[in-house]
Amino acid sequence: MMSENTVPFDLTIAPHADEGPARRCGLRAIATAGVAALLFAVPSLAARAAEPIKIGILVPLSGNFAVNGQQTLTGLKMYFDKVGNKAGGHPLELFVEDTQGKPDVAVTKARKLVQGDGVAVLTGVVTSGAAIALNAFSRDNKEPLVLSGDAGADELTMPGPLVNPYLVRTSQNGRMVAAVGADWAYKKGWRKVAMIGSDYAGGVDVNFAFAQAFCRLGGKVTQAEWPPIDTPDFGPYLTTLDRNVDAVVTFEPGADGLRLARQYSDFGLKGKLPVLDLYAGLVYEPNLPQLGAATLGMYSALFYSPMLKTPENERFVAEFQKRMHSLPANEGPNGYVGAHAIVDAINALHGDLSDKMKFIAALKAIKFDSPKGEISLDKYGQVIQSMYIRQVEMVDGQPANVPIATYKNVDQFWPYTEAEFASFKYTYKDSKNSLTDCARLLAKN
Amino acid sequence: MPAQGAGAGAIADRRGRGCSMIWVIQTLNGVAFGMLLFLLAAGLSLIYGLMKILNLTHGSFYLVGGYIGLTVMRLTGSFVLALIAAAVAIALVGAAIERFFLRRFHLDELPQTLLTFGFLFIFADLSLWIWGGNPLMLNEPQIFARSVPMGDYAYPVYRLFLIAVGLAVAGALWWFQEHTRLGTMLRAGVDDAEIARALGINVSLLFTLVFAVGAALAALAGVLAGPVLSLYPGADFEVLILAFVVVIVGGLGSLRGALVGALLVGILDNFGKAYFPEFALFTVFVPMAVILVVRPTGLFGRR
Amino acid sequence: MTVRIWSLAGALAVLALLIALPDVVRGYYVALATKMLIFALFAMSLDLLLGYTGLASLGHATYFGVAAYTVALLVVRAGVNSATAFPAALAAATVTGVLFAPLALRARGSYFLMITFALAQVVWSIAFGWRSLTNGDDGMPNVVRPDFGWSLDNTVSFYHFVLATVGVAALLLAAIANSPFGRALRGIRESESRMQALGYDVWRYQYVAFVLSAFFAGIAGALYAYYNRFVGPEYLNVVQSAEALIMVILGGAGTLLGPAIGAALIVYLEDFVSSMTEHWVLVLGIIYVLVTLFAPRGLIGLVVEFRQRRAAK
Repeated sequence: MMSENTVPFDLTIAPHADEGPARRCGLRAIATAGVAALLFAVPSLAARAAEPIKIGILVPLSGNFAVNGQQTLTGLKMYFDKVGNKAGGHPLELFVEDTQGKPDVAVTKARKLVQGDGVAVLTGVVTSGAAIALNAFSRDNKEPLVLSGDAGADELTMPGPLVNPYLVRTSQNGRMVAAVGADWAYKKGWRKVAMIGSDYAGGVDVNFAFAQAFCRLGGKVTQAEWPPIDTPDFGPYLTTLDRNVDAVVTFEPGADGLRLARQYSDFGLKGKLPVLDLYAGLVYEPNLPQLGAATLGMYSALFYSPMLKTPENERFVAEFQKRMHSLPANEGPNGYVGAHAIVDAINALHGDLSDKMKFIAALKAIKFDSPKGEISLDKYGQVIQSMYIRQVEMVDGQPANVPIATYKNVDQFWPYTEAEFASFKYTYKDSKNSLTDCARLLAKN
Repeated sequence: MPAQGAGAGAIADRRGRGCSMIWVIQTLNGVAFGMLLFLLAAGLSLIYGLMKILNLTHGSFYLVGGYIGLTVMRLTGSFVLALIAAAVAIALVGAAIERFFLRRFHLDELPQTLLTFGFLFIFADLSLWIWGGNPLMLNEPQIFARSVPMGDYAYPVYRLFLIAVGLAVAGALWWFQEHTRLGTMLRAGVDDAEIARALGINVSLLFTLVFAVGAALAALAGVLAGPVLSLYPGADFEVLILAFVVVIVGGLGSLRGALVGALLVGILDNFGKAYFPEFALFTVFVPMAVILVVRPTGLFGRR
Repeated sequence: MTVRIWSLAGALAVLALLIALPDVVRGYYVALATKMLIFALFAMSLDLLLGYTGLASLGHATYFGVAAYTVALLVVRAGVNSATAFPAALAAATVTGVLFAPLALRARGSYFLMITFALAQVVWSIAFGWRSLTNGDDGMPNVVRPDFGWSLDNTVSFYHFVLATVGVAALLLAAIANSPFGRALRGIRESESRMQALGYDVWRYQYVAFVLSAFFAGIAGALYAYYNRFVGPEYLNVVQSAEALIMVILGGAGTLLGPAIGAALIVYLEDFVSSMTEHWVLVLGIIYVLVTLFAPRGLIGLVVEFRQRRAAK
């Protein structure tokens, strides 16, 4: 290891065995050579040891998804700070770029990070559009991509045209949460539900997963409404809602969730029909203090709750509150877990990221405890984690999402095996208008 | 038929008892939303009508006004104070923009448009910086924070209040326009600024005043709409587009047009979303497209 | 005379630099340069309408977006060959221009801005709302680049393809601008009534200018679809149209070269500033305001003014 920088021992320095001055001369020469060798070698050792590992973070920091990006970034930074921004014997250097929530900008910034800054791995990614574009970029350029943001498009980690050996995802996917929600709903005794879902690919994905799993157990979706993104007024949807159901199942992220939560109460439905909020769009943590009593009693399904009473989570929540002055929702823990996975993988390889496939393998091998619960990855690089059913209750005078049920080791195909999942004839892509048709949802190839 | 599945059957089951109630609620909803749209559009129409300025910053006046109202509300708990603070603050901002920036480009629409667009961007970023990216809900005053039972349903009292406010504002603006000296000067300034000036009317001051009032109307709309629409990054652009739809349908520069256009769009949008959910987005833009082809100056517009 | 030789030599030098660019800079900047070229064409197409004919449109992104969506729809939904989709996209953009021109040309001034904006919004709402066709907000990925025997997936070869296409389009635009037709347009910009009095069918000239500008915007739109390999409703929104206006104004309306430079500058600034700060939107807004206030005739205008002042001494 020190070969090329070591000054070779030159025995000719002390040619004659003249004991006195010659010997001293020789010893001095040897000493000089040795010191010189050390002086050469140590900086080079130090240089190699000090060589930072560069990590590229792509999140929206402007535009409509800025807050999701900021929270994900905070989570990422929290973990990197926790390990002193060091891993595998190398310092870590973070490069953050704003994707603006746009796929083309995401790819441009990714290119800048990889070619310009020389990052070894890309992470973050909140919007599914950016995720799909970056997935192609990662595959074409053989760049490791660790999805630690919300981007939940199922297909990214399932066998199919999008599959990418350089991608792992530590955050979530669309269907896991919904499938668990369906199971809990059935066990609760609900047999008929109405659904309100945001009309975009993610919404259809989530609601389809619920409907299919619910049908399989013996339940039925009797009505599915699809308000477009940025619906200002849910009045028309709430007043035409089928009242003859056991519950209403919702998926409405962003400002839509805040509005629906308020308007659900305004139109007199609160207390009349229970709500199961998939992905906690209505009972999103920042919404709760604003809505006061309007959300009390609402159920939600998510892979996290800030009220989880584990030491790991309590530490995380305390630190997060110090930084953001609010409770974490889903983005913070996702970022945190993503950073944890990257650090563990780097540690496993002792900082040597020269072989990308080894890096991916190390990533896929991670297993640790986190604020979300226990985390590991399946063979496609998709996270296996716990799911929680929560209910809004007053805690210390504030509404909070308190966990009331836990599902462990939920993988991306839950509750099916991979083979069973692949055996279904229809996917969410062609099923938006048939969520009420159980026969079609369960049809097999 | 609304949505899918048993919804239709459920409606049919309740025919005679609930069906008419649903129609009442849908109509009320349409009118309430329409009133909101009127408040949004009135300022835009006013400014265009007098000064021929396409004020793209209108969206920012709405959003920042709403945010200011929210902050005042959180500090003082008073909705009325919130309304006043928002209106005054944004009126000042609007006056400054008109006086120091827009006035240099009198009747030169391209620089005016670009300036107002630049300010839209500036305010968008500043408000993200100050109030953050989470959607924020303004809380309506306690007296309106209830719902009135209507058959199987309930209807939020606040929306009834909005209908009342919308009518009141429309009335006040109309009275001002038709029956006050200032209003007459305004109409003179619209018709012919040169002669108005020759008659001793301080047209410059008038312009600044009108711009400030238009901005204040947008800010009021922001605070009043807060409890229904909430405030979030991107609302400025969305509201701007909605306001444009209304003034195109109703006709630029016409108060009556703004009111009729707003009600039309509000009601069509509501019934459209309820009964033709497949075309949810088009319910807002189809009336506009029709007007553009059939009657480009709008229902009551004059160029 | 010397000015013309200077500008010809300058143009050749710039052309040589552009062709050799990939050998000089890293792949990332080549991709950025590709984007600059595409938007240069987009801005130049608007200049034909704004700078030459005097019609300020707030809906120019319509034709840009229609072409892009046509490419995406044909390639992704109908499996049409990507190269064949290109002329179809141009046709679609032109037809949209043909349909919208009579509607828009009923107005002038701020009402023209309003109508072009409204028409753009109608198209946007179709792209956003007709989910089964366009995927709405999610956009359409997997737009394949044309394959002319050699693949354009490589950043450098795609850059050269765009350079060639934009170059040809720019030459055409220059030819149009310097033709009698172009001169008539400038006359119309100065005074419609005078040209009418001189016997020109003003409306028809404006109509043709409108349609031509839509056609060239369509070329840019199709190229952008290939560049991103993705098309979304943001191609059609008012922000894109306003950005085109600023590119033209920043560079200098009525000069064709000015808007090209303005476009390159805006594209570069957006990229550069957004890497420096997340408040790039604020910076951009300030630039819009400053440019409008202090450089209404754009950079080219500043250069011309500077030269005139020097000549006057």
